[in-house]
Amino acid sequence: MYQNKKSRVLGLLAGAAAILATSSMAQAETVRVVLGYYSAATQELFEGMAKDFMEKHPGDEVKIEVIQWDNLQQRLTTDIAGGTEPDIAMIGTRWLVDYVKNDIAEPLDGYMTPEFKGAFIESFLSPSTFDGTMYGLPVAASARAMYYNKDLLAKAGVTEPPTNWDGVVDTAKKIKALGTDAYGFALQGKEIETDAYWYYSLWTHGGDLIKDGKSGVASPEAIEALTLYKSMIDQGLTEPDPSGLNRQDIERLFKQGRIGMILTGPWLRGQIKTDAPTLNYGLSPIPEGTTKATYGVTDTLMVFKSSKNKELAMKFLTETAFSPKWRIEFSTKEGFLPVMKEEAAAPVFADDPQLKAFTDMLPYARFAPPVANWEQMVDAVIAAVQKVYIGQAQPEAALKEAAATIDGLIQQ
Amino acid sequence: MNRARAPANGKIGRASAPYLLILPSILFAFWIIGYPIYDMANMSVHAVNRFGKTAAFNDFANYQRLFSHQLFIGCLIRTLVWTVFVVGGTVLLSVPIALILNEKFFGRTLARIIIMLPWAVSLTMTGIVWRWSLNGQFGMVNATLREFGLQDTPIEWLATSTAAFPILIAIGILVSIPFTVTVILGGLSSLQADVFEAARIDGATAWQRFRYLTLPLIRPFLNIVLVLNFIYVFNSFPLIWVMTQGDPANSTDILVTWLYKLAFRYGELGIASALSIVMFVILLALTITYAALAMRNERSTA
Repeated sequence: MYQNKKSRVLGLLAGAAAILATSSMAQAETVRVVLGYYSAATQELFEGMAKDFMEKHPGDEVKIEVIQWDNLQQRLTTDIAGGTEPDIAMIGTRWLVDYVKNDIAEPLDGYMTPEFKGAFIESFLSPSTFDGTMYGLPVAASARAMYYNKDLLAKAGVTEPPTNWDGVVDTAKKIKALGTDAYGFALQGKEIETDAYWYYSLWTHGGDLIKDGKSGVASPEAIEALTLYKSMIDQGLTEPDPSGLNRQDIERLFKQGRIGMILTGPWLRGQIKTDAPTLNYGLSPIPEGTTKATYGVTDTLMVFKSSKNKELAMKFLTETAFSPKWRIEFSTKEGFLPVMKEEAAAPVFADDPQLKAFTDMLPYARFAPPVANWEQMVDAVIAAVQKVYIGQAQPEAALKEAAATIDGLIQQ
Repeated sequence: MNRARAPANGKIGRASAPYLLILPSILFAFWIIGYPIYDMANMSVHAVNRFGKTAAFNDFANYQRLFSHQLFIGCLIRTLVWTVFVVGGTVLLSVPIALILNEKFFGRTLARIIIMLPWAVSLTMTGIVWRWSLNGQFGMVNATLREFGLQDTPIEWLATSTAAFPILIAIGILVSIPFTVTVILGGLSSLQADVFEAARIDGATAWQRFRYLTLPLIRPFLNIVLVLNFIYVFNSFPLIWVMTQGDPANSTDILVTWLYKLAFRYGELGIASALSIVMFVILLALTITYAALAMRNERSTA
């Protein structure tokens, strides 16, 4: 009896302590935000948002931590394994599927008003939606377009940039005929996004990465897409040995005025502004094959299921981070495309003719499919295109091998 | 020997005292070294998700998937080729360098410093410098060749495996030389001069003195250098990662770079832990075999 009473008293005390603890926590909550590093401005921008938010919610605190993108996935993985994850994290949208599958990401629909959700440009929401439930908010969006060197094309007698692949081949031949050290078409052959450079061709030829739950990288369209690139290498229309050049390498060649046409994202505009201000270049859509397409990429802000301050974390996102003022500030300073309608209508975006080349392509944007094991599929595709670029395998054989690997990964 | 013999009776306590005293340190060392191995082995026989949460025991499925993976055999063979060529090349070059640096000549100290200097530069930095030098469009190597009229079209040195892998091996040798020369030089300077003088008086040629005196006498040092280099090079990650990341088409991937991709890019912690255990076992087996052979040799020559 005595034992029982004692334990009951203890239980009551513990309960009271717990209530006290939670109530005191409700008074001063802290939201930890871990972000990927885009540029020197990232930290400053989010510190500004945090300051804004803390002024509106005195007593609460928002802590910002910025980490290099290369280390972000590893850092979050370690945090999750050790139970020390933050409340909010910025992640590559393609990672989200693993977070959802392992029950780490919090479903966000319950925290958002329909107006808030409706303020986004529709196509950017689909990559972070699984089975009709939203698990993340798109924070940084980019699409790809073709940059062309106006002077080089003019010298080769081409006045208008080509709109389809035949035109690209034709223009590249004319640039080659000039006999200078310039190359017609840039082809990326190694490291991050080597696969994406081939997807431009794949998608515009009508191919799909994954179709009906199976890999589409060995479809006739895919083989045609890769054969096109290989024939351009063989005819000397690209820089020699593409498998030795990564994205920065071909962008550097373009900035030096030695590339006629290159497919890449909006960040190159900013680089040209500082590195090659005299370069006379234009922007046009990704060349068409049988259809129009571009590669859309978003990063995502997600909230952890384990967070104790989910309400406050979401308030920080809906009230401050995704307010029009901060969205415009963020996208212009970091060089991304607008993800919200009000943002897109702002003069900085609406009146920029160069940016229009990217935003015009958004309706055709294709995203990385939300499947698990994505990074392994990417490396299988990269290995296949590299084998073809260096002449170690024929397009069909290499792509069939990659498709078999991808099918195996889908079934896992 | 006699002095160290334990007293006949009743003094066992005193004899075991030193062992008792170092017992805490030994346990601590076992824990520091043993726990990660235990943890890794444990993970390798369980289903693990990409966040390191282990689930049920899965009948060695991780090992099965590792051994049946299309990249495993290729990476294993390349690792052995890489290790044998880098370690072999390093030792073959380091012995003559050490012999030269052991002679007395003007500027010897400076020459020794120059040989040691690359040691102070991190492997990552060396890798970055070489990556830039070998860049086809902007690199120093091609620029030099063009300057001398030896090249019309730029060569992308790291674009094909036939060029990239031998280049990686050559640079691997280059960065292993300082450590190896230092150890061998230490061995050479410990040799007694009078033995060599006696040999010379007896009419031994320079080659004979090297073959029958120097080489057997510095053998313990060569053994150390071989075993340590073997372990370092087998596990050497930064050079290959910085220069090629295993590209093109995995043709310069060795086990340790593939391990990194498995663990941190693909989140395949199960296969990755199985691979770590396999690599650990390979290294352990080779090291023990070599150490046993070396010891037997030493005993038979003694």
